[in-house]
Amino acid sequence: MGRLRQKGKAGAAKAYVTRTSAIKKLQCSLADFRRLCILKGIFPREPRNRKKANKGSSAPTSFYYAKDIAYLAHEPVLKKLREHKAFAKKLSRAIGRGEWSDAKSLEDNKPVYRLDHIIKERYPTFIDAVRDIDDALCMVFLFASLPSNARLPASLTENCARLAAEWQLYVMHTRSLRKTFLSIKGIYYQAEIMDQTVTWLVPYQFTQNVPSDVDIRVMLTFLELYQTLLGFVFFKLYTDSGLVYPPPLDVKKDEGGAGVGAFSLQSSSQSASSVVSKTTAVEVDGRRISSKDVRQAIKTMTNAGPIADDDDNMQVAETNPMEVDEEFIPQQSTSDPQSTSSLTTLKALQTLPQSLTTSLFSPYTFYLSRESSRSIFEFIVRSFGGRIGWPTSSGSGSPFDESDDSITHVIIDRPLVERANETPEERERRLRRKYVQPQWIVDCINAGKILLEEPYAQGKTLPPHLSPFGEYEGAYDPTAGQQTQGADESESEDEAVDPEGEDDEEQEEQPAEKAALRAAATANDPASLRAAELAAEVAGVDFGTFEKEVRKSRKKSKAPSNEEEMDGEQDMNKMMMSNKQKKLYEKMKYSEKKKASEVRVYYSSRICPALIMI
Amino acid sequence: MAALDANHRSKKRKQVEKDASPEPPTFSAPVESLEMLSDEEGVEDAASDDGKVDEFPEIDAASDSDEEDSLEDELGSDESDEEDVDEDEDEDENSDDSMDRDIFPKPKTIISGITGKPKRVYPDIEPDYDSDSSTEDAPNRVGNVPMHWYDDLPHVGYDMEGKQVLRPARGDELDKFLQTVEDPSAWTSAFDKNAQMDKPLSAEELDIIRRLYANEVPDAGYDPYEPTTEWFTGKGKEEVMPLSAAPEPKRRWVPSKWEKQKVMKIVRAIRQGRILPSKPKTSNKTEFYSIWSEPSTSHAPPLPAPKPRLPTNSESYNPPEEYLPSETERAEWEALDPEDRERDYLPQKYSSLRLVPAYDRFIKERFNRQLDLYLAPRIQRVKLNIDPKSLIPKLPSPQSLKPFPNYKSLKFAHSARARCISVSPDGAWIISGDEGGVVSLWETNVGREVKRWKFAGKIGALEWCPRLDVRYFVVGIEEALHFIIPPNLPSPMLAATQNLLAPSSLPPPPETPSQVKWASLPSASWSSAEAILTVHLPQSSGLPKQITWHRRGDYMATVSSGGTQGGVWMHQITRRHSQAPFKKIRGAVQLVLFHPSKPHFFVATQQYVRVYNLSEQKLLKTLMPGIKWISSMDVHPSGDHLIVGGYDRKLCWFDLELSDKPYKVLRYHTRAIRSLAFHPTYPLFASSSDDGAIQVFHSRVYNDLMTDPLIVPLKILRGHSVKEGLGVLQVKWCPRQPWLVSAGADGTVGVWCS
Repeated sequence: MGRLRQKGKAGAAKAYVTRTSAIKKLQCSLADFRRLCILKGIFPREPRNRKKANKGSSAPTSFYYAKDIAYLAHEPVLKKLREHKAFAKKLSRAIGRGEWSDAKSLEDNKPVYRLDHIIKERYPTFIDAVRDIDDALCMVFLFASLPSNARLPASLTENCARLAAEWQLYVMHTRSLRKTFLSIKGIYYQAEIMDQTVTWLVPYQFTQNVPSDVDIRVMLTFLELYQTLLGFVFFKLYTDSGLVYPPPLDVKKDEGGAGVGAFSLQSSSQSASSVVSKTTAVEVDGRRISSKDVRQAIKTMTNAGPIADDDDNMQVAETNPMEVDEEFIPQQSTSDPQSTSSLTTLKALQTLPQSLTTSLFSPYTFYLSRESSRSIFEFIVRSFGGRIGWPTSSGSGSPFDESDDSITHVIIDRPLVERANETPEERERRLRRKYVQPQWIVDCINAGKILLEEPYAQGKTLPPHLSPFGEYEGAYDPTAGQQTQGADESESEDEAVDPEGEDDEEQEEQPAEKAALRAAATANDPASLRAAELAAEVAGVDFGTFEKEVRKSRKKSKAPSNEEEMDGEQDMNKMMMSNKQKKLYEKMKYSEKKKASEVRVYYSSRICPALIMI
Repeated sequence: MAALDANHRSKKRKQVEKDASPEPPTFSAPVESLEMLSDEEGVEDAASDDGKVDEFPEIDAASDSDEEDSLEDELGSDESDEEDVDEDEDEDENSDDSMDRDIFPKPKTIISGITGKPKRVYPDIEPDYDSDSSTEDAPNRVGNVPMHWYDDLPHVGYDMEGKQVLRPARGDELDKFLQTVEDPSAWTSAFDKNAQMDKPLSAEELDIIRRLYANEVPDAGYDPYEPTTEWFTGKGKEEVMPLSAAPEPKRRWVPSKWEKQKVMKIVRAIRQGRILPSKPKTSNKTEFYSIWSEPSTSHAPPLPAPKPRLPTNSESYNPPEEYLPSETERAEWEALDPEDRERDYLPQKYSSLRLVPAYDRFIKERFNRQLDLYLAPRIQRVKLNIDPKSLIPKLPSPQSLKPFPNYKSLKFAHSARARCISVSPDGAWIISGDEGGVVSLWETNVGREVKRWKFAGKIGALEWCPRLDVRYFVVGIEEALHFIIPPNLPSPMLAATQNLLAPSSLPPPPETPSQVKWASLPSASWSSAEAILTVHLPQSSGLPKQITWHRRGDYMATVSSGGTQGGVWMHQITRRHSQAPFKKIRGAVQLVLFHPSKPHFFVATQQYVRVYNLSEQKLLKTLMPGIKWISSMDVHPSGDHLIVGGYDRKLCWFDLELSDKPYKVLRYHTRAIRSLAFHPTYPLFASSSDDGAIQVFHSRVYNDLMTDPLIVPLKILRGHSVKEGLGVLQVKWCPRQPWLVSAGADGTVGVWCS
């Protein structure tokens, strides 16, 4: 007979601990435990059987892996937190006793924890870290725009703003921005870093107020981690692309509201060479210096200085010439020439033409009018290779002013106003430039090509702005019906030489009619049929054709109904499904039906928007 | 000198203590005794200063000791000491009195008889609040007993002489009130429990009350702010003489060696840099370095958190019109709890970017995301990206499974419940029996009744003999089995049948006489109207529920509702012999079946199906269908599969080579299953139930052991009506066609054709 097994000594009862017992084991406060969990990325687990994990009790508790907690017990940060507790006691005692010098020395030697090892543990490889910086970026961008108060020191906001600027600088430098979406929540950006897509959300530039039901301590703990993480990630990104991290900040420019422009990117090879040259100068002291040396030294000195804030600072000059790489040549076997597979080599990849999308705006020069946000469009335009200038009211550091002749586009977000007193020179300038609304920039990026400026011109009603991230499969596609329309329009635009208004109108009308008829075809129940009828009336379809269409669709739908009857017979097969499968099937059917109904609602409302109001 | 002086003082103090002991409250604690000492001295002084009691002059210690010394010198002897003590005693009293200088009456000054000096004499001490209450001269001497003991008595206690102290008269409330009005001192009087009457409070008591109210010390004589008396400090009281004449030790003026060593240790540590004199200030600035250039740990990284969902078109600042919510949708969204909302925002449309306001829930959303990150348990869920249709098991379509009975082709009516049917081995004839004792023979194709027999009592079971060379059927009624030859047989077959059932030379009877009697009609009266052979089952064996044939047609097994040995009898036609295969059987036998190819015998009791080997006469296996009450059973023509139905609506498919447990349990009937039948040639089986429905299944059995049998529900045949809770009582297949014959409780027998 084997050993008697005691209850609660193995299995789920051992593998899980409740939060209370975890805190008891770690001998820390709940706040400290939360902090640790946030920093270490430990989250509660759902045991398969709560009763077994909680020793027979079904009280609502959160469970953690016992191993996770054991892992936390060895955490240096936990030790530091305990030290901090002792320190806080000492300090309060010193202050209570009025021992000011003691308090000061205590405060000077306050225990501070570092998160380097946690970053290394949580993200063993750099790719892991890059994959997980979405939330960090969101937080940093949010806190960069928060007003500082007692809970949020100004230094924190400053640091966040610095990190945000560093990130934007890097994205602009490497031209890795891919998609942008102007949503009601803020602006979504998506960049591709190290083959990982990084999506972050930046709020519109307004002062945010921290709501009272938000625990700011939790957010600050997260922010603490995120700042460290981003610091390390940026260090690696900068150094990998041969830049100095942190990029030096020009305080004067920063005070002038230069934003991103206050930082200057510096090539690390240059700074290294300057250091080297300095050391050689020390060594050289006392030796005869040739004129060549002097010239070289001067050259390195000029290169080493921070490059002026212009577009030039993006293009860091490569000082060391590229060595000529040897090409991989597949060695064919004599017996079987097809056996070797040819792989794409790095060289082949490099010789591929760079996709146009990253340098989409490089032929253009933009000027921001003062009501459009500079922080958004400077970032977007510069990450796609464009040049951009802005009025001084949007901050200092504009590379050119409004009267510059190179300006091709003006991003303007104002209604059209008749200008009465306009000098001919101004008028000429106005006609030469294209005035577009900000959405044009974003839509161009998402489309990957330069769109026609016409629909986005100043004062026009904008075409809808769609998400570049796509929807789930089978979702309602608002562009589905319009593509033909768009094609028609472009055609008509091409044929704009002979202006035939009627023709255009007809062409415009047709799709609407078609849509109405399609709605009639899809309408099954009397209510939707009625809606479709109304829609047809709105679209100008006469009742006869509508009826015909309905009858046709009925006939069409009758055939499938026969098929459905067959399906009904097939439903007998469902009898053979297990209960579990049956449930799963019903669930999937339900969600499918729900999605389909959603799409139908969108369609019907597109055909007749007035119906929604009924 | 000083030491001696101290000795003397302590001795004196002891004396004082000893003397003062009879007065416990004031002399209980040593501190107080010290006080007393000072008092005494004060009094002494006062005595010498001629009655300046109120003043408490400063006395310098030296002079005091001098005085005492001089006094001692004066007296010198022990006697004088005693006298001195007496005097002290007096003076103690005096001093005691003098403490309560506010309350006590003035003393009288008389000339002392002993010393001849004027002396103050106080009146006798009246015991007061601070003295022991036991010495109080209260009239009532009952002591501290609960006064309610005297509640019923006219007196309230006893005085010192043992006389009753009568209860003072107490008026009613009105009197009390009047008294308070009349008596000006009423408001300063309190109820005395011992005397059972109101006693006016004394001035001292009122003073105490006042002091307690004012948060003062209740004792009026206590002065918390007494002036300090400096005895040993101050000018002229310094001790100038050293206490010891020893020379000052060297350590007082030589620097400590050990201290130096300790300091040097620290100095050395600082020099070597082991101790940092002032640690560099801790800074919040973290230095960044290339953290990922070092090799990573082998520790598996935690699972990355799922990324939030990417925004869709409806979140755009300028979405297409159709995404905008209608009024009702908006109201619905707002009515929902924030947790229940499908989307946490309402789509909105702005005509231009500059009009887009700040999103008011931005911080809240970030916060919620973080709560999700550190408070929510994460489950890795496998997302099923499959077509739901693929979940439906891939079965051949019913069209490809044809033929199977589809419709009711004809109906044959009985006047009573049609209990049992049987289809002849060639499939052309059907016999059906009802509860009224009528057995009808009719054609399968057209339903024409050829012959009708009438028996006494219910028909329990009837069955055709499966042999093709002879033709007869067996009808089971109460305690008898009748062997009947149908009419219109070709003469060779008729002769063979007659020869089989009633041979001219009877086989020898068994050695042990059986309970079952075989009786043939005499050959003269042979006709199709009468049973040619009758087997009389033993008495009280009841109605035969089932008749089942061995495939060869020589053996026949019957199950009766009553009787011993489970009511199972096995009859051999050629030997005209019946035997009970089981001496004893556990449980009530419901059904029996012969295996189609092996000498196996299935016996279904109420819950189990037992498989016996008849040739070896042993139990092979027990099948456990998990049915509460087995109603029906049939074996697949291959003999490897068995279906068992129960009154609890279950249909169990057994793979006999696989397990004792059902391979599949089907529950499609809504009422009890009554009958099951496998088609002998087609891969079909049917089940009938009390819900009036017949379900037809396709059951394909594969020869290779690896492939599971395929069961496909084909068709639900409805057409029988439910009568008195009974539906379709029996189903049988036509042997050569995929036709089904069913007998219903509504008295109809239907033929279902494909």
